[in-house]
Amino acid sequence: MATLQLSALQKRYANGFVALHGVDLAVEDGELIVIVGPSGCGKSTLLRTLAGLESITSGELTINERRVNELEPAERDIAMVFQNYALYPHMSVFDNMAYGLKNRGVPKDDIRRRVNATAELLDLGALLDRRPRQLSGGQRQRVAMGRAIVREPQVFLFDEPLSNLDAKLRVQMRLEIRRLQKRLKVTSVYVTHDQTEAMTLADRLVVMNAGRVEQCGTPMALYERPATRFVAGFIGSPAMNFLPVTVHGERLRLPDGGELALATGLESGSELTLGVRPEHLVALDEGDATTDAGAVIRATVEMIEPLGADTLAYARMEGLDELLVVRLHGEHAAGEGSVLRLWLSPERCHLFGDDDRRIEAHHATPVTGARG
Amino acid sequence: MRYQRPGLDLASHLLLAVGCGLFFLPVWLAFTASTHSMSDLYANVAPLWVGDAGLSNYARLIHDPVGGLGTDVLRLLANSMVMALGIAVGKIAISLLAAYAIVFFRFPLRRLCFWLIFITLMLPVEVRILPTYEVVADLHLLDSYPGLILPLIASATATFLLRQFYLTIPPELVEAARIDGAGPWRFLRDILLPLSKTNIAALFVIMFIYGWNQYLWPLLITTNADYLTVVVSLKRLLTTGDALVPWQDVTATAMLAMGPPVLVILLMQRYFVKGLVETEK
Amino acid sequence: MTHFQRYRFTPWLLMAPQLIIVGVFFFWPALQAVEQAFYVEDAFGLSRQFAGLANFIAVLQEPDYYQALGTTVVFSLSVALGAMAIALLLAVQADRVLKGANAYKTLLIWPYAVAPAVAGVLWLFLFDPTLGLVSAALKALGIDWNHNLDGGQALLLVILASIWKQMSYNFVFFLAGLQAIPKSLLEAAAIDGAGPWRRFWTVTFPLLSPTSFFLLVMNSVYAFFETFGTIDTVTGGGPGGATTTLVYKVYQDGFIGQDLGASAAQSVLLMILVGLLTLIQFRFVERRVQY
Repeated sequence: MATLQLSALQKRYANGFVALHGVDLAVEDGELIVIVGPSGCGKSTLLRTLAGLESITSGELTINERRVNELEPAERDIAMVFQNYALYPHMSVFDNMAYGLKNRGVPKDDIRRRVNATAELLDLGALLDRRPRQLSGGQRQRVAMGRAIVREPQVFLFDEPLSNLDAKLRVQMRLEIRRLQKRLKVTSVYVTHDQTEAMTLADRLVVMNAGRVEQCGTPMALYERPATRFVAGFIGSPAMNFLPVTVHGERLRLPDGGELALATGLESGSELTLGVRPEHLVALDEGDATTDAGAVIRATVEMIEPLGADTLAYARMEGLDELLVVRLHGEHAAGEGSVLRLWLSPERCHLFGDDDRRIEAHHATPVTGARG
Repeated sequence: MRYQRPGLDLASHLLLAVGCGLFFLPVWLAFTASTHSMSDLYANVAPLWVGDAGLSNYARLIHDPVGGLGTDVLRLLANSMVMALGIAVGKIAISLLAAYAIVFFRFPLRRLCFWLIFITLMLPVEVRILPTYEVVADLHLLDSYPGLILPLIASATATFLLRQFYLTIPPELVEAARIDGAGPWRFLRDILLPLSKTNIAALFVIMFIYGWNQYLWPLLITTNADYLTVVVSLKRLLTTGDALVPWQDVTATAMLAMGPPVLVILLMQRYFVKGLVETEK
Repeated sequence: MTHFQRYRFTPWLLMAPQLIIVGVFFFWPALQAVEQAFYVEDAFGLSRQFAGLANFIAVLQEPDYYQALGTTVVFSLSVALGAMAIALLLAVQADRVLKGANAYKTLLIWPYAVAPAVAGVLWLFLFDPTLGLVSAALKALGIDWNHNLDGGQALLLVILASIWKQMSYNFVFFLAGLQAIPKSLLEAAAIDGAGPWRRFWTVTFPLLSPTSFFLLVMNSVYAFFETFGTIDTVTGGGPGGATTTLVYKVYQDGFIGQDLGASAAQSVLLMILVGLLTLIQFRFVERRVQY
């Protein structure tokens, strides 16, 4: 039973580099928070300050409303799973799991009982006498988990625990971590750079960039209403398309000269960025009429990537430097060189100002004269 | 790659066999000489085969005070053993701790300490014998085991090699141990020492041999036969003025002086090679 | 920060034994050597006087010093090159035969453990003018061997004994270096039509150059210092100073001759020389790390 509270947490290194610019975050009891961001965004530093492996420059960190800034890692009642597992190479699996308990003076019988129970839970019973180097990657990962679980800590910290596994095992372990966390109901903070892992695991997701929290919320909330252009680009795969647009009254002028009815309340001439996800660009068949508000974009397919269930098309739109990415359902007939007519629905558009923050727009205005 | 002709292989084996033989020859001839009586020896040139005075030669050297030395060879071997073990164990012990502090702690003047210790790599005891002799004399350590051992411990080879090894230990291991509630002393005992076992064994071989084979330093500070080492005693056995050199005694003592370090290197060859090649390069 | 923070006292406790021993038995004497080099002491050691560079000038004007320097250079180069050449020759054979390489390693490694003084004794016996086997063989060939009278023969004898002891050290390193060369490189050279001889000089030897350089430095240091025992047992620096190296001269002038100032000045000159050698090695090692 633990809550975690970070208030204006700042980390400045001796060389002056500021890794965390005042992070605020409240983690509720039993919640699995995933911190995601590109490398160097400060997510690992944040986790390590929670663990007590890095000192906190300013701000406050509390576990169960108790200030822990000055406590040693061992005194914080946390457990951590490392990216390279950090198993003690000279100890058996049993001793690896028992070491933390021994250091805390837990009686021998209790240690045996708890290690055996945890081994059972993780299907490690047959491996207790092995050394880490005799284990496969997945087994080591499990032992690292076991070492954390056996301690029955207040908080689990995961530092990219799956990034050393191959893709198939990664998916499997992801499910297992999710299952265990729900079962044990231990408050957890999980750091990853893999947005799929982040989306699938998180109760709530924290997106970090350059030492700051960009946005915090449920995975779907972040997907549907990204607060910044950075979050919009980071969450979702393939990444969102961004188009430079100009405000014309209650409409937006698209790069190819087309217009989209979206009221922003901003004065004409303002330059904005319009984001639309590849899966939200709908390819119209010959003769399909535009039934609703929105705009139709013409784009020439330059490359096709068939993924099986979907097909990704990379298409050239007039006036746009980058290629548009479009997710087409199934095996689409569009060949390279063909022209797609893509319907852009205002409901699916995200707008960002020149500070890269989200701008709420209204698309109640009926459409007139959309190209088609 | 099997690109060579079999003839070349044979030539290689031949060359190696001749090499091994030539390297063994001086030892063999010294050994055969040590099994002959002095009159036998001087009757002809050095014998190629074993004589019948071997047991009595060695027994005499071990039991009776050797002429000109004032003590028996057993005592000399014991002194050498104390010195070699003292140097090996002492050097490893202080180096383990110092390297641990340098790699796993951050403290003011750490860099200075590092350089103070590592500058000793540059100057072996031979370069500073006179003043070292004076310091040891001032401390009243002439003719004593600490006097034999301590100045030879004052170098950073072991510290350097252990530091190199400690630097290869993944930092996460320290972090995991800290989260598991291990403080610095526990980490040293439970994690670092068990992981360093092979390196310590390798260092032991190197330092034992280094200590056993010391010559100049023990020569200078031992005037009392009670602290004479076996390696140093050879020169005294050879210095006979106008009398004939008692070669049967000299070679037998040389055999005994070679024994322990050669045994150590042969028994612990695996560690020795690993320690030598992996750490010194 | 993966280190133990918040322990202010512990690291000093850990460092203390080494710092104290290094301080008392290394820095204190080394500084004294430097200080002594600038003073002259009277014969009884009762008074001393600052002499500036006089000790150094005296040492550098002494013909004996240059003889010792020359001997040291000849001796060190012969030992280093001789021990390395033989070691390389044998290591290449051992690397080539595959089968038995480890057995040969065992058969060749043990001289490393033999004390230089003992090595000296073994070789002294081989060449003993009255009962040495080799000297007898030489006599049969018409060569009169007596290293007690002939300076050149004396130098040759200490060189041989020193090579004998050092070869195994070099062998271990060369064999490790050879075994670390990717076999694919040699196969590529073979496919390119290079014979064994050519492969060795164009592929193996250049790839061994880091090992060779390292060994050159280590062998020089060995020849400088560790061979003291060999020289002292075999020749005692003679005859006529023919085997007196720089280190042996420091000992002779300081302990036998009791000329402290001269000995200290020589010590300082040696320190500078060795310091330079070490610096070269460090620079080299640093450069190699970037490969």
